[in-house]
Amino acid sequence: MRWIYFVLIVVVVAAANLLAQDVYLKIPADSPAKNPLEGNSDAISAGMGAYRVRCADCHGMDARGIRGPDITQVWARGRTDAALFRTIRNGVPNTEMPAHPAPRTSDLDIWRILAYLKTISPATAAAPGPGNAATGEHVFATNCIACHRVGDRGGNLGPDLSRIGAARARAAMARQIRGTMGSFRTGYEPVTLTTPNGQEIRGVKKNEDLFSVQVMDTRERIQGYLRDDLRSVSDEKKSAMPVFGPDKLSDAELDDLLAYLENLQGTNAAPSSAR
Amino acid sequence: MLRRTSARLAVVIFAAAACMATLVAQSVAPPLVTTQELLNGLASDGSRWLMFGGSYTNQRHSPLTQITPENVSRLVPQWVFQTDTAGRFETTPLLRDNVLYVTGPLNVAWAIDARTGRQIWQYKRELPPTGGLTACCGLVNRGFGVLGDRLFMTTLDAHLLSLNMKTGAVVWDATLEDYSKGYAATIAPLVVKDKVIVGVAGGEYGIRGFIDAYDAKTGARAWRFYTIPGPGELGNNTWAGDSWQRGGASIWVTGAYDPELNLLYYGIGNPGPDYHSESRQGDNLYSDSLVALDADTGQLRWHYQFTPHDLHDWDATQVPILADLTVAGQPRKVVMLANRNGFFYTLDRTNGRLIVGKPYVVTTWAKEIGADGRPVILPGYVPDEKGSLTCPDVTGATNFWPASYDPSQRLFFVNAREVCATYYAWKQEYVPGERYTGGAGQRATGPDMRAWGALRAIDPATGERKWEFPYISPSTSGVLTTASGLAFTGDAEGNLLAIDSHTGKLLWHFQMGSALHGTSPITYMLDGRQQILVPSGTTLTAWALSDIARVPSTR
Repeated sequence: MRWIYFVLIVVVVAAANLLAQDVYLKIPADSPAKNPLEGNSDAISAGMGAYRVRCADCHGMDARGIRGPDITQVWARGRTDAALFRTIRNGVPNTEMPAHPAPRTSDLDIWRILAYLKTISPATAAAPGPGNAATGEHVFATNCIACHRVGDRGGNLGPDLSRIGAARARAAMARQIRGTMGSFRTGYEPVTLTTPNGQEIRGVKKNEDLFSVQVMDTRERIQGYLRDDLRSVSDEKKSAMPVFGPDKLSDAELDDLLAYLENLQGTNAAPSSAR
Repeated sequence: MLRRTSARLAVVIFAAAACMATLVAQSVAPPLVTTQELLNGLASDGSRWLMFGGSYTNQRHSPLTQITPENVSRLVPQWVFQTDTAGRFETTPLLRDNVLYVTGPLNVAWAIDARTGRQIWQYKRELPPTGGLTACCGLVNRGFGVLGDRLFMTTLDAHLLSLNMKTGAVVWDATLEDYSKGYAATIAPLVVKDKVIVGVAGGEYGIRGFIDAYDAKTGARAWRFYTIPGPGELGNNTWAGDSWQRGGASIWVTGAYDPELNLLYYGIGNPGPDYHSESRQGDNLYSDSLVALDADTGQLRWHYQFTPHDLHDWDATQVPILADLTVAGQPRKVVMLANRNGFFYTLDRTNGRLIVGKPYVVTTWAKEIGADGRPVILPGYVPDEKGSLTCPDVTGATNFWPASYDPSQRLFFVNAREVCATYYAWKQEYVPGERYTGGAGQRATGPDMRAWGALRAIDPATGERKWEFPYISPSTSGVLTTASGLAFTGDAEGNLLAIDSHTGKLLWHFQMGSALHGTSPITYMLDGRQQILVPSGTTLTAWALSDIARVPSTR
């Protein structure tokens, strides 16, 4: 049995060397390099742990996306192992996805994570959901655009949605809209400041320390306040985004809106902010 | 004629003498750093800071009193020094004869005029390509050691250098180990008598850790203490099979020294692989231990293991602090350490026996420290593939950032973290030079899992907390205290903080733009004014009171 391990190590080291070159030589995205650890059970269990520790904060324990995109659809959308390796190694410019340089992240670490992800990813893309995207755009313009940006249109109080279709699974977007998602994205935590004369300033928190808090208020004014100048600073439990229950948005309207959002892949829009 | 000649001669002699006097004044040799000065520690005149912890006790407590709780709000910046390199400071600068000696990230180092912040010389080590370096957690350095007119600095490629204090030129270069096998060095050397004491990092890369002593003059190795005993040595049987060969147990935080007992005290790193421990059954000595070594020979005198068979990466690489205190009516020579595993320890430093072992943060994995000195471990905190939630987290209840100790108040000051984590473990084969952790920990988040921290003042005779100053998120700053009753530290948001060390009350703060990380300010006197020197991010900033007049020194 031992020779198997030896062969495996040789294969892995050789592949790792190949890929190390790959990173620096910028082999095109259609590079045929394949994950040398695909299907390897030790690598998959190691990759699961590594994924949970290093990726799940943003991409979710189920890899269906929280702050970062749903990454279970990447193979179904035609990305190659080599391209995914490079994405992890180099990060994605102008997004929160960081680079993972050696030595902290070895080539093997990346292949292990991809070996694990492959086991929870469908090979083919899911069939498109119901709904009419063109109608959905009207729903968006009526209900969402005051706070959310798509391309060069819309508000800034909520996250930019120019890439949301690539980033989030349909079901997750539905939960967010219906108000059944509990977490807030960093930089969008709802906060209420109360001035000494009792005036309330509502907004989302951009930053804070022991002595100050920086907010964007509901009129999109960005401003820093000293805690000493305020009567109180309270973190709100409920998202700044209104709940769109069936009373505000019918199931059919929701389907249309989701169809529109699924089409937002960031390809025609200006790059989203680095936040 | 004779008279004129003698008058002329007198003039000439006078002129020559005057000239000589001038020459003599200009050529006073820079004072050499003596072993006696190292033994004296922080002098009451504030003229020097010559080692990592200020003195061999590592108390990081200054006798200076010009800056007080009453006037600290009048601190103003004197100058700012920028590294112009990537990476951030984790260093403790040294001060000698009005010159600062500072190590930075990427093994760049400087001599800096303490009056102006202007560079006198710079040293830069040519490092192997960063892909080849294995320092797990940042390409940092924690500071110089000094003796005579020589500085000592460890390097990321696991060397120890001696530099000429006047020029920054390399005097000798000793290799600790082969960096390509996972060894690195970030520790500030400790100079004891004629030897330079260092250790190696690399606990996440399957190394076998050691503490070395080198001859300060020649760079020849005087002794080596392996932190994992080899075959035939006492303790080797605490490692299953051949796991001792790659068990980690690194050393990356400077120890303490007791000149009377002639003992060195060093905290040792975690066993590897960190989380999946099947391959290393046993206590895994001397990982996660404090070892007391004979400073002349490196012989082990005693050890105390905080976390036998560690499963959570809880290195004991915290800064050990020495003090003499009265416990239960008895005078005791102690060594104190707030451990990453959640417990605060006071040990008898003559024999390693436990005096106090009490949790100082929320600690779920052990019920208490038993009478035998071992933790009473609770079930259900073994990392596995599904993950097990345990407090404290991987970074620990505290870590390598130095604590301080004020003997006049009998108080130990530490930046503590209240964070839990889900720990995962999986089987991993060892590949030389690769990370070898067998798992990982993920910080627990959620509404009932707030991650926060506090500066805590602990009585080492009882382990009781006297006060705390809470932060909104955990700080990774060290602490400096002064005899005037001040604690200087930083929060994670970049604020430099001055806190009343008797009460925990905040007195003054300044937003530095980058957090103090892994180090604390130092303090010294310069031209009659007490200075607070703050390494944070890529800057060094010197502070002094605005209304104290300079008294330029004439020498």
